[in-house]
Amino acid sequence: MNREHFAAAAAACALAVWASAATAQIPTEGEHNADLSGVWTNVNLPGTAEWAIYTFSKDLPEMTAWGRARFDASKPQRGPRGVPVAETDDLVYKCYPPGTPRIYIHPFPMEIIQLPGRVLMIFEYDHLVRQIYTDGREHRTDLPASWMGDSIGHWEGKTLVIETNNFNDKTWIDRIAVPHSEEMKLTERLYLNDQGQLQVDMRVDDPVALAKPWEFSRYYRKTDWTIEELVCEDNATYEEFENQLLEFDDE
Amino acid sequence: MSSKVGLLFAAAVLAAAPVAAHHGAGVFEPEKKVTVEGTVTDFQFVNPHVLVYMTVKGDGGKDVQWGGELTSPNRLARDARAVKWHKEILKPGDRITITGHPARNGAPMMDILKIVDAQGTVLIDDE
Repeated sequence: MNREHFAAAAAACALAVWASAATAQIPTEGEHNADLSGVWTNVNLPGTAEWAIYTFSKDLPEMTAWGRARFDASKPQRGPRGVPVAETDDLVYKCYPPGTPRIYIHPFPMEIIQLPGRVLMIFEYDHLVRQIYTDGREHRTDLPASWMGDSIGHWEGKTLVIETNNFNDKTWIDRIAVPHSEEMKLTERLYLNDQGQLQVDMRVDDPVALAKPWEFSRYYRKTDWTIEELVCEDNATYEEFENQLLEFDDE
Repeated sequence: MSSKVGLLFAAAVLAAAPVAAHHGAGVFEPEKKVTVEGTVTDFQFVNPHVLVYMTVKGDGGKDVQWGGELTSPNRLARDARAVKWHKEILKPGDRITITGHPARNGAPMMDILKIVDAQGTVLIDDE
């Protein structure tokens, strides 16, 4: 074995040891009641595709006066009230995080990784990561309000129940500007349904913005994809295209 | 759509089934479709939307520069569409026919639904 071959073999051994150590980190079934891991992509139920790209239900949720005033004053880029990118006040177009649950609407895959005491959700959209602690800890109370919220999970049978709070009020619940306050609490129930899909049943409680809780579901099919790069700042390329379109002069 | 641009290409404006608008309601006309044939001048396989630019010969032999957009490159590369897309699937000089939702303001730009190459191969078909 010459020097190059030896080096290659040593590197392969080191990689094998590292891979073995990584494998050892995969939890046993006892730590998580179901295996929800994998790369998942959104599936729309028949008849929902038209609105599922921008909101969670066919009809608007019932809003409080506070919520309705905020909704009316906003300029979403999507949906029936959609305006061009240059005119929207949707902060996602400035590359701020979309927040939770809105992240589920963005049509890019999401990977679930289950670790001991923790579930990671890695969203392709702008590489956002949610960490859902399942080790029995309480919600943090020392941190400022956040874009994606503070998530604690627990298992009820084979359903992962996630409760998320500590949101700022800068995001919208969906892409057509249904607002929320810092009082918003999101409850998610993730499980494999009878079709083998990952079903996420959600309930948004926000007495400041919503007259009653907003409940909806999203569905995902498992894929053999890998999560790729998707950087929000690259959206500038599209703005250029859209500006070229909007500045079209027919004269 | 302006009459000027309307005369520059052979447009098939059809009643289209409502589809999820790719962008704000103010940009493209989701209820209309247009088809143009031309030569690719630029192909950008980039996030967030793949862009295709082409020269289309209009009435009187005048060249019109068309632009069209597709979904993300990640999606085109992984979805089981007509063919699997990659960064060299189109190049300047290729002859293609594209169909899509036209710009509301008459600009020669579209939200692309379908592309067929010079050999008749369907590269994407979201019609």
